[in-house]
Amino acid sequence: MSRIGSDGGARAPGEAASIEPPVAVRGIGPHAPPRTDRERHLPVALCAMTIVLILASRWISPNFGSWDQVIAILTLSSFVLVVAFGQQMVMLVGGLDLSVASVMTLGGILMFGWVGGSPEALLWGIPAVLAVTAAVGALNGLAIALVGIPPFVVTLASGIIVYSAALGVTQGAPRGTASEALATLYRSSILGLPPVVYLLVALVALALVLQRRTVFGRRLYAIGTSREAAHIAGVPVRRTTIACYAISGGAAGAAGILMVGFSGGATLSMGQAYLVPSVAAAVIGGTSILGGRGDFLGAAAGAVLLTTFSTIVAALGVAEGWRMVTYGAVILAALLLLNTEFPGRRTAGRPSPR
Amino acid sequence: MSSLANTTAPAPGVTGARPRRRADGTAIAAAIYAALLAIFLLRQPGPLSVTLLEDLFNNALPLAIAAAGCTLVVLTRGFDLSVAGVVSLSNVLLVTAIGDGPWAPLTGLALVLAVGAAAGAVNGFLVAVLGLQSVAATLCTTIVCSGLALLVLDFPGGYVPPFMAETLMGSVAGVVPVAAVIAALVAIAWMVLRRTDLGVAMYAIGADEHSAALAGVPVRRVRLIAYCLAGSMYGLAGYMLTALTATGDPNAGNAYLILAYAAVAIGGTSFAGGRGSVIGSMIGAATLTLLQKVLFSLGVLSFFTGIAEGLVLILAVVILALGERAARGART
Repeated sequence: MSRIGSDGGARAPGEAASIEPPVAVRGIGPHAPPRTDRERHLPVALCAMTIVLILASRWISPNFGSWDQVIAILTLSSFVLVVAFGQQMVMLVGGLDLSVASVMTLGGILMFGWVGGSPEALLWGIPAVLAVTAAVGALNGLAIALVGIPPFVVTLASGIIVYSAALGVTQGAPRGTASEALATLYRSSILGLPPVVYLLVALVALALVLQRRTVFGRRLYAIGTSREAAHIAGVPVRRTTIACYAISGGAAGAAGILMVGFSGGATLSMGQAYLVPSVAAAVIGGTSILGGRGDFLGAAAGAVLLTTFSTIVAALGVAEGWRMVTYGAVILAALLLLNTEFPGRRTAGRPSPR
Repeated sequence: MSSLANTTAPAPGVTGARPRRRADGTAIAAAIYAALLAIFLLRQPGPLSVTLLEDLFNNALPLAIAAAGCTLVVLTRGFDLSVAGVVSLSNVLLVTAIGDGPWAPLTGLALVLAVGAAAGAVNGFLVAVLGLQSVAATLCTTIVCSGLALLVLDFPGGYVPPFMAETLMGSVAGVVPVAAVIAALVAIAWMVLRRTDLGVAMYAIGADEHSAALAGVPVRRVRLIAYCLAGSMYGLAGYMLTALTATGDPNAGNAYLILAYAAVAIGGTSFAGGRGSVIGSMIGAATLTLLQKVLFSLGVLSFFTGIAEGLVLILAVVILALGERAARGART
């Protein structure tokens, strides 16, 4: 993050010469970056933990641990999963998006207010909402990539602006109609599963193809590993960074749309609970906050694990405060684990030139 | 350490290592404040009274102290998001844990300073010793502290000893607001600090960590101390906020994250580290608080205040970044 400010031409001449080649090459070559053993095993381990948690929850209540509950958890995890996708794209290039909560609320309010109940309106309504939220993300990206403002500052500010604007426009109580067509995503069933589950599987597959099999995906890892090296290798650093923030905005907007489908309404606080889990899911899934590490299989597994965890914790009636403390501790533990694996890559200050 | 200034002087990146008198950022913030103050006073029905003065200082002080703490971390090229969590935690601790005794205000102060310093020590350990990225590490601390605040007090309520709510919010001899005295003490402490080895080292690390380390600056220790001091400042900010609101709220500190960084930016402290001043940030905080008052007195709807805060933060940073770019261009 601290490297953003020293982007491109802003650096003093000669500084670029001090780049360690073995790290920098990762992701620039013709092949997708090789996955380490850990990256391959992590999603499996996370899924195993989820299954163990679900089975263990049978002791808490006889209603738990059933197939219905598994489906309920998968459905509930859709929101974290979608927000985490955007958050991870931003984290892969070494950024962080603190505005996802407000943008998710914006997406939900626009969906509720603009599109309303008519199924035909969904055809233009969903793209329109996604376009607006992606535009908010792109503005974040512009300020970060072109002006060089730290991501946390930009997204903190834009989050407040978006939230306040939403508050002002709706006067505190969003008005609109819930879309029946959207609700079928959660209420109906195809082959025993709600349609939204298939959507999530499709998202995971598409995200993995995007991250691992496209030029754009390889650029993400190149930028996240070394911004300077990527720049020298001809990667359009700024354009790619802006695209990532636009994707994050759009993903948060999509989560807002899904939320309207699920709950049949929109509130000003609907996105609030999803900022921390989005970061947590990505980090637990092996995404380095410094960029360049992790893929969506891990983040998706992290999102499902987190949702299972919060569902069980909620059933136990544990205070909200403990849940937050646990979230903080879990993110920290994941950060420390990732950090010990790559001890050489530190940005507590400027990366060491040696 | 005493030879630090000589050793670092020739290195290209360390020009900010010595706390030169950079009046620019602070002066701009002061000018904006003066302009806002003029608008505000013109719209006041009566003349400038002690009550009005008390009001201005009391409202601005908690944010000013919080922003001062953030500045210490920003100077060492880091970010500290724990300000929100620590302010909330201090606030709820003060209304629940210190009781009513004659020594309650003092034990309360010791308690929040210790809690803040402990949170800062955790941050400092994670960032300086374990090498975690400051935003990530302090995000975890702020989540944990907010969670603890909810555990201490899960709904707004409670009260504080009268000494805090009345004496601290009043005036010394009926003339000088106590808050102004505290603000002056913080400013003086900063002016002393930045002339010590520790202060110089903080600037040096922010300007160029590598050169600072080569010049013999104990980078880890200085950074650790900076986070600890910052944490205590958030505790103190929570203390003054509690005196101001005279009640507890587990979300009391949430607004401080954006406001404190906006104050730092307005005060002219560079987010790239190594340049800026605590006094600038304090004036920045006063400016923001006054801006809220002026917007309110002009009849602007409250949600615009949020938009204004966000825009002010971005604008201040953009202007700062462009100014730095221009300065860098002029040097080379």
